[in-house]
Amino acid sequence: MRTPLPVLVGIAATAVIGLVLPFVLDRGGLALYIDVALSACVVVGISLLMGFAGQVSLGQTVFFAIGGYTAAVLVLNDYTTAVPVLNGVPPALVGMVAAPVVAGVIALLLGIPLLRLHGHHLAFATIAMHLIFLVVVQQSEPLGGSVGLMGIPGLSVGPFDLAGHQSMAFVSLGVLALVMLVAHNVVASRPGRALRALATSETAAESAGVPVGRYKLLVFALSGAFAGLAGSVWAYYVGYLSPEMFPVSMSITFVVMAAVGGMGSIWGALFGTVLIKVVVSSLGTLGTASGMPDYAPAVMSYAVYGLVLVLVLLFLPHGVVPEIRDRLLPLLGPRRARPPQGGGSTPREAESGATADSEPVTSQSGAGVQPSGHGAPGSS
Amino acid sequence: MTQFLMFLINGIAIGCGFALVGSGLVAVYRITGVVNFAQGMFAVVAALSATSFVAMGVWHGLAELMAISVGGLAGLITGVIAVGKRGTQPLTALLVTLAVGFLAYAVEVLIWGENPRSLAGLDGRAELMGVPVQRQYLLVIAVTVVVFVLLWLFFSRTYLGKALTACASNPYAARVVGIDVTRMAFIAFALGGVLGGIAGVLIAPLRPVSFDTDVSLIVGGFAAAIFGGLTRPMMALLGGVLLGITEVMIQAYGNASFATMGSLVFLLVIMIWQATRRPTVHKESV
Repeated sequence: MRTPLPVLVGIAATAVIGLVLPFVLDRGGLALYIDVALSACVVVGISLLMGFAGQVSLGQTVFFAIGGYTAAVLVLNDYTTAVPVLNGVPPALVGMVAAPVVAGVIALLLGIPLLRLHGHHLAFATIAMHLIFLVVVQQSEPLGGSVGLMGIPGLSVGPFDLAGHQSMAFVSLGVLALVMLVAHNVVASRPGRALRALATSETAAESAGVPVGRYKLLVFALSGAFAGLAGSVWAYYVGYLSPEMFPVSMSITFVVMAAVGGMGSIWGALFGTVLIKVVVSSLGTLGTASGMPDYAPAVMSYAVYGLVLVLVLLFLPHGVVPEIRDRLLPLLGPRRARPPQGGGSTPREAESGATADSEPVTSQSGAGVQPSGHGAPGSS
Repeated sequence: MTQFLMFLINGIAIGCGFALVGSGLVAVYRITGVVNFAQGMFAVVAALSATSFVAMGVWHGLAELMAISVGGLAGLITGVIAVGKRGTQPLTALLVTLAVGFLAYAVEVLIWGENPRSLAGLDGRAELMGVPVQRQYLLVIAVTVVVFVLLWLFFSRTYLGKALTACASNPYAARVVGIDVTRMAFIAFALGGVLGGIAGVLIAPLRPVSFDTDVSLIVGGFAAAIFGGLTRPMMALLGGVLLGITEVMIQAYGNASFATMGSLVFLLVIMIWQATRRPTVHKESV
């Protein structure tokens, strides 16, 4: 399996830009950088979930929050002294390891009943899960109730203090790289191929012997773990957590980013997050700067999310990155055709994806999610 | 006992609000196969417009009717965006309606600001079999009953209603017999907007409405509608009323902060129960 040169150059360029940016950005820029990197972790998970498992989750923020709360509770109460094995291990590190594990396990447990549902049923079930989570946190004493948890110490590992903006940017980049690497390996593996089949037709995949239920659950847990890991870093960075920081609209914005970038595409998830976050943030500064009314930033960010999602869903239903890939790769010659996101596990498969309408690979039906539901009549 | 009856009637009234939002969902879903996430937005838009019309000096009643037509217009616009382009899949259309909801947030914040607003309704109480009841609650219940009877007559007794249903059960066959499926879809969304609008102007006097009230409205409405599998309006009414009663009773006799959780757990249990009973209900497109 050769990776074509332009794709390698693209990956290298992205990595270099990612490494250089923290040195040049100012404080506001670094905050945006960290926000983008951590959000992208969540969006990669959603992209896998929607593009490969064909499931919509409008509650992904829950796992982000669970990760944050797990890390915060562990650090604030310093459990490392209580457990002999962990003696001497920096508590922040314990939090960062525990966060994805706890979030992943909770996703797994919630997924067992929830993933019996399909399509819009699952969408609403995940919203319900989100709202229930908020009520539970508000009522929970150890999690600080509706006031929240304050004074979460910044990230420091042994003698290294990583709490600064610049070092947190590198930590976020590292976390994102880890998430993308794991996602890439999952996609390229044998279960990854089975998952693609699953996204196209669950019934066909099941009859071909794919353990559909188990794989869907696995992706759900994995996406929860990604979000949990990002959440722990976010908690260290901002230093406080409260239920109002995790509204339902946040979950929806993650889905917007995944849909814009292209579902089932790891690089698409990154692209979508960068695009939306940067546009919203620059419009936000525009809104606060030039004597605009105080509601201007909110209006603009809602308008951006809404407009971009409508336009992309209607005119680029496969997302921006897959669309560009399908247009550009044939120009590079058929032998080189290979999706840059590492999605194509064999060159033949990738070609059929690149030459468009022959074989549905990931996102043939609508926005990469299969239409399904209680006798939902297709309106085609 | 009097107190219990009072809570019961409150619960029924709140449930009727959910049922009205749910009926809009049913109307759109039956006809287009789209679950319209913007349904809560129609109610919010109508409620907020009603407050503006009243503030402008329009008489009560007329202001509400005007607000309901604004809701219908919002429904039509949503419909044009969501299903106007041929070949939009239902689940993509769900995401589109979600996006329209976000766009509406921008418009709502621009016009009405971010703070919740409330609308004056019928004040005072009436005695019903010795139980004091707010008159607004009775109005909500009465209007809901009328709306549901009309809706039932519309779907089962009129040509347009039958044509609309035909589009849902088999759009291809509907097109073959000369029904304009896209136009029917627009009508469905407009109808959904009107139903949402009715819900909005009735709910606004009971609870302050702000732009982001739509999430709780749509979740409650969906919970009511799912009770009838999203296709039967009467079951949606029953579901909504059960839901409202549950919420009010939790609020009255249990922990008030867990009241909204009642509807959410209700929603999850119903859906999972339906899914386990019929494990292969989901269809796949070819």
